[in-house]
Amino acid sequence: MRRAALAVGLLALLAWPWASPRYFVFLASLSVVNAIVAIGLNLLSGYTNQLSFGHAGFLAVGAYTAALVTTRWPDTPVVVTLAVAALVTGLVGLGLGVPCLRLEGLYLAMATLAFGFVVVEAIMNLDWLTRGNDGLRVPAARLGPWALQSDTARYYLVVAVGVVMVWAALNLARTRTGRALLAIRESEIAAQASGVHLARYKTLAFAISAVYTGVAGGLFAFVVGFLSPDAFDVFLSVDYVAMIIVGGLGSVPGSIAGAALLTVLNDSLAGFQSYRPLIFGTLLILSLLFMPGGVARAFRFLKGEQG
Amino acid sequence: MRGDGRGPLPLRGARPVTTAALVHVVVSGLATGSIYALMAISLVIIFNATRTLNFAQGEMLMVSSFVGFTVSARVGLPLVGVTLVAVLAAALLGWVIERAIIRHAIAATHFDVLIITVGLSLVLRSAAGLAWTHDEFPFPSFFGNRPITLGPVRLAPASLGIIGASLGLMLGLWALFTHTRLGRAMRAVAQNQHAARLMGISVERVYSASWVLASVVGALAGVLIAPVIFLSSKMGLVAINGFIAAVLGGFGSMPGAVVGGMLLGVLENLAPLYLPSGIKYSVPFLLLIAILLVRPGGVVGRTVRRKV
Repeated sequence: MRRAALAVGLLALLAWPWASPRYFVFLASLSVVNAIVAIGLNLLSGYTNQLSFGHAGFLAVGAYTAALVTTRWPDTPVVVTLAVAALVTGLVGLGLGVPCLRLEGLYLAMATLAFGFVVVEAIMNLDWLTRGNDGLRVPAARLGPWALQSDTARYYLVVAVGVVMVWAALNLARTRTGRALLAIRESEIAAQASGVHLARYKTLAFAISAVYTGVAGGLFAFVVGFLSPDAFDVFLSVDYVAMIIVGGLGSVPGSIAGAALLTVLNDSLAGFQSYRPLIFGTLLILSLLFMPGGVARAFRFLKGEQG
Repeated sequence: MRGDGRGPLPLRGARPVTTAALVHVVVSGLATGSIYALMAISLVIIFNATRTLNFAQGEMLMVSSFVGFTVSARVGLPLVGVTLVAVLAAALLGWVIERAIIRHAIAATHFDVLIITVGLSLVLRSAAGLAWTHDEFPFPSFFGNRPITLGPVRLAPASLGIIGASLGLMLGLWALFTHTRLGRAMRAVAQNQHAARLMGISVERVYSASWVLASVVGALAGVLIAPVIFLSSKMGLVAINGFIAAVLGGFGSMPGAVVGGMLLGVLENLAPLYLPSGIKYSVPFLLLIAILLVRPGGVVGRTVRRKV
């Protein structure tokens, strides 16, 4: 039953570009990219209770890394580019994670918020590298002899990477690291008492989260094709927080649902830009007040399991 | 202060800094610093009662300033009337938000309440944009434009006025917290909610009072700062520097909030004299990260040790 559902889902994903107009292919790619960020953020916030308002900053680091690598060395295979983006962003995450160990709750929220601002300012000011406010055009990604120039090609790239990332996240919970993170979520003190090295695993969570966001950033660069600092402002970070809140903290399927829901909602509100924050904000408040646990918990509730 | 175009400084980089210019910069730094201090105090008042950070503080300030401005423009009130209407609107807004939203989430984790206030800030800013557009409006000032000359030093009356008014307001708050029943109740709740409840203090009443008071302090800060940065839906961003000021002073401490605000204002104004202009806007954030790393308890505060 489960396998059948999975197979149908995968088939639907593969068939999507042939069944829908070109724009919806782009939208689906964007949803998958956002889902990867949401999973990364959820590993951090949902598993180790470290709230981040700076994930747009990580996304920017990944996106600019991928864009710069592709501009400088156009023949780099896209897998290598994404790996470099993941590595660079992961290192930045490690660099932010170590000092943030000392912080929790709202201090952490503010430190990550500040990180997001600093990244955007840095991009604006390093214009010899990033072209600042003029923006950076991203060349097409290359995979061996092919240049991924069409929306469909990019969609398949994003889906392939996305499936790997989702699979890794689902299996993470079954590894030693994953169990340690879950233990930290339930109780830091109890986890520590059972021999979980808190500092190590909280830093690791930061790094893993950054790696996810870095990969998503690389994909984002190729999908959108043009980067400018204002795309990575603090409101994007808030959007990601909204995705995991609406989807459900600590749930991988919830992250995907939240990301898809908010990406599509965001897009359908494109004509009503001034109402967008109003609706997003209301959604955020209502889901916290009336649907704690998000879509993921609502699903479990509907299936008759206890929430 | 971001994006106001009238950056605090007429001078740049390599030119030698004269004492007179330095005094000017420090005084305007203290003026912006007083506003940050007021914002920090509002945040600390709410933090002490409901143990959460109010991300919507800046937007509440913005909405109440807009209401004051609009109502008095319709009726034709003088500036005192604008201030009064803004304060009343702020009190009402703070009360409604606490009773209608925050109170229902108080059992949830602080994490949740924090995110609720983030959502609230989105809603308020966007609603203000719909009601009053996203344009900038000039706002009348209590203070004149003619610079006051003291020997070689020229000072803007607005700077001095803002500093004076803020200090007066802080003095009033100090009196409220030390000499009134409500103030003492608020401090008791900040120290220990259970003990406060056992002493017969209505903690719920303190929640409401804290939100109203914080909102009113914010509105007064808004009326003081609006002539300088213009009235616009974006003016709430000033609260971010209030957060930083509160952290600098050690979150939870009122004197700390004042010191932190002043410090931030002065440093932010001094930085462009000595640092490349590009990193000017990053100064507060770099300062925040630095202080969180080196002294998370704030510049003046004690380090809070957590017992496990």
